[in-house]
Amino acid sequence: MKILGISAFYHDAAAALTIDGLPVAAVQEERLSRSKNDPTFPMRAIEWCLDQAGLEPEALDAAIFYERPALKFDRVLMTLLRGFPQSWRIFPKAMKNMVGEKLWVRGIVSAQLGIPARRVHFTDHHLSHAAAAFLTAPTEEAAILTADGVGEWATLTVGQGSKRPGGPVDIRLLREVRFPHSLGLFYSAFTAWLGFPVNEGEYKVMGLAAYGAPRFADEVRRILRRTPDGAFSLDLGYFDYHRAVDAAYSRRFVDLFGPPRDRFEPIDPGTAQGRHYADVAASAQRVLEEVIVDIATAFRKETGLADLCLGGGVALNGVANARILREAGFERLFVPSAPGDAGCALGAALWADRILFGQPHRDCPDHPFWGPAVEPDDLARLAAEDGLAFERAAEADMIDNVADAIGRGAVVGWMEGAVEFGPRALGHRSILADPGDAAMRDRINRDIKFRESFRPFAPVVPVEQAATFFELPPGGARLGRFMSGVFPVRPEWRDRLRAVTHVDGTARVQVLEAAMAPRLHRLLGAYSRCHGIPVLLNTSFNIAGDPIVTSAAEGYSTFRRAGMDLLVADDVVVRRDRARQAQRMEVMA
Amino acid sequence: MTGWRVPIDRLVWADPRRRARKLLQFAEVEAQGARDLFRAAEMTDDPLLRRRLFAHARDEVRHAALFRARGLALRRMLADPGPEHGLGDGLIPGERGFDRLEVERESIAALLAFIHLSERAASQAFAAYGAVLDHDPETRAVIDRIARDEEGHMRYSRAELTRLAPDARRALWVARLRRFWRAYLRLALILADMISRLILTLLYFLLLPPFAWVAKRAARKEAAGWRDCPEHDRAEGRAGGGQY
Ligand SMILES: [Fe+2]
Ligand SMILES: [Fe+2]
Ligand SMILES: [Fe+2]
Repeated sequence: MKILGISAFYHDAAAALTIDGLPVAAVQEERLSRSKNDPTFPMRAIEWCLDQAGLEPEALDAAIFYERPALKFDRVLMTLLRGFPQSWRIFPKAMKNMVGEKLWVRGIVSAQLGIPARRVHFTDHHLSHAAAAFLTAPTEEAAILTADGVGEWATLTVGQGSKRPGGPVDIRLLREVRFPHSLGLFYSAFTAWLGFPVNEGEYKVMGLAAYGAPRFADEVRRILRRTPDGAFSLDLGYFDYHRAVDAAYSRRFVDLFGPPRDRFEPIDPGTAQGRHYADVAASAQRVLEEVIVDIATAFRKETGLADLCLGGGVALNGVANARILREAGFERLFVPSAPGDAGCALGAALWADRILFGQPHRDCPDHPFWGPAVEPDDLARLAAEDGLAFERAAEADMIDNVADAIGRGAVVGWMEGAVEFGPRALGHRSILADPGDAAMRDRINRDIKFRESFRPFAPVVPVEQAATFFELPPGGARLGRFMSGVFPVRPEWRDRLRAVTHVDGTARVQVLEAAMAPRLHRLLGAYSRCHGIPVLLNTSFNIAGDPIVTSAAEGYSTFRRAGMDLLVADDVVVRRDRARQAQRMEVMA
Repeated sequence: MTGWRVPIDRLVWADPRRRARKLLQFAEVEAQGARDLFRAAEMTDDPLLRRRLFAHARDEVRHAALFRARGLALRRMLADPGPEHGLGDGLIPGERGFDRLEVERESIAALLAFIHLSERAASQAFAAYGAVLDHDPETRAVIDRIARDEEGHMRYSRAELTRLAPDARRALWVARLRRFWRAYLRLALILADMISRLILTLLYFLLLPPFAWVAKRAARKEAAGWRDCPEHDRAEGRAGGGQY
């Protein structure tokens, strides 16, 4: 069967295509539209997925949307009713938002694709998350935990699944916590209070937390309380559901933690004010961890299952994930490369195949590379037109040259094959650099990422040597496959890995298996032969505010804008030629 | 030509809070403009135009940084920077940059004509602001400097248009009409928004109270904590691919 999965209209839209039960293409709309976190109907992504498989839309057996719009409408309306009469200010906007677009998904999909409405299906938001996590994971039986801001009504679910190749699939969500009680919205309120953009700046809160001490954990526990049955609830007095349908913080929140941060001023954890923000971030992070670890631990006891699949936006919290792995009692923890709503496009398509249409299970390839491939010829043409030196080298030479250049301080744009599905660059669209050079880190922060100094860069290490440099608990290497866990850097290596070690001595490490990205794996080997450590700094290939690059032209443009030293697209290598470039600019001026 | 707007500009730029906010707003517009131009450079096949667009985009990055730095400096001098948005902070056409231009969908002629007109509007607007900023020489220096760049952008885009488009004048007229149309649409949308807001607000107070009462009663009975998943409540037939 040919099934198209779609997620859209909230944050980070995406499309995914499965044929005969296996993914063949998946991409976030932002990667094609070049508008970060693009939530609009993912027409470009859909077109690309169909093109990739050489399909016309009529050939689709089904299109499936990642949530149920009518149920979502029910939740929004109910929230407005319960907020009466204070909700009058957001009522017009919320109504127009829902009625204008979100409610008519069946019609939109059917009209845009030109397929009959009866071929358009829906599933539950959290079932999409669960399917994205469980059906892509190499396990036959697992507990499932999903947690995010909110879907239709559910904000957190626990369930379990079973599958084996050729056999039937079962995914059962057993219990859920419902809106407005939400770990995602809880964390978002702190994100907003700290002056970061909601749905985007959550990882900054996690990064900032490492600078602080959880001095306010008791205060935070007043906001996020445990219920006697082991779940949790939010004290709604601290949130402002009347002003926003998602939970912004309220007056009482400000009374408790002080005035929100001025988003125009930088955070300096060295000042008293900066430390206060860091302490609040650390407290929110701590309490989030407590709750989710506790829920996971209880569920492990209840099910007795060895594996846990984790989905939803909260699964992007690598610190919490690592704690679940260490403390909850599961042997293995699987987080997909796209645990957020974009990943629901793939989850929904797989769910439709296995559950809605009852197809037998097939194991999905265990990698994140489902997007458009880079065209090295395009890069060669661009470089030639601009008079930049480029070469096409045999792979072994190319890898040695790049490793050598990195050792001499080069910042390298590394593009290979298909784009990653999900928010992390996992070796196909990465910026690579020396992991030991703090000046290098500052240069990348200043010239390329224009970002706060408190955000760490991630390292990438081959799975064979990971334990030499990082303290990985059992199952840690698996969690590091898609950069889903934060682990301590071994103290004796922290100095050599300065640029990728966070202030608390940890790193969000990517543990690389050769089969997943063989060239990057060989590059790590070559770097190790020259410089003694098989570790590189690996950050996403984009400039602040842009989505990760997709095409050779985007990589080339980013390489030029950011003043990087080397750009690699498969076998084509372009070097920055400062002298010639300066000359050219003068001629033009 | 722009004498009529001097009193308005003077009024708008007199308040230091608004001045700071406007500069920060401009910084965002320039940054978006830079992204659009980099995108245009990525899309074009003509190497010379690509280099020009690239250089232009770099200027806009610099403008964004200049506006931001000055806006922040002004903001820091205020005892209370006030709310992030105030009345009268709406952008007027010369301040909108390329105004959500969809680079991929435009022909080279349309793109260049659009850039030319936007830059012209910007350079005129900035020149006018410079003229009413005697009391704030630092902001004035920033704006004057940027206004000069915008003139350069205006010139190169016109020259490229002549080089690459067979009928440059026609492209300019089309772009002018489209800008006009957009301005009209924006007004129409604002009006439609106001009307729908009014109607929906009326509906809210007329229709919702009884439902709100019921919803609140139901909410009081609801205990927090775990709930069974609705999957189990659903009749077999409905558990499938429906909207509910
Ligand atoms: Fe979600
Ligand atoms: Fe500008
Ligand atoms: Fe300009």
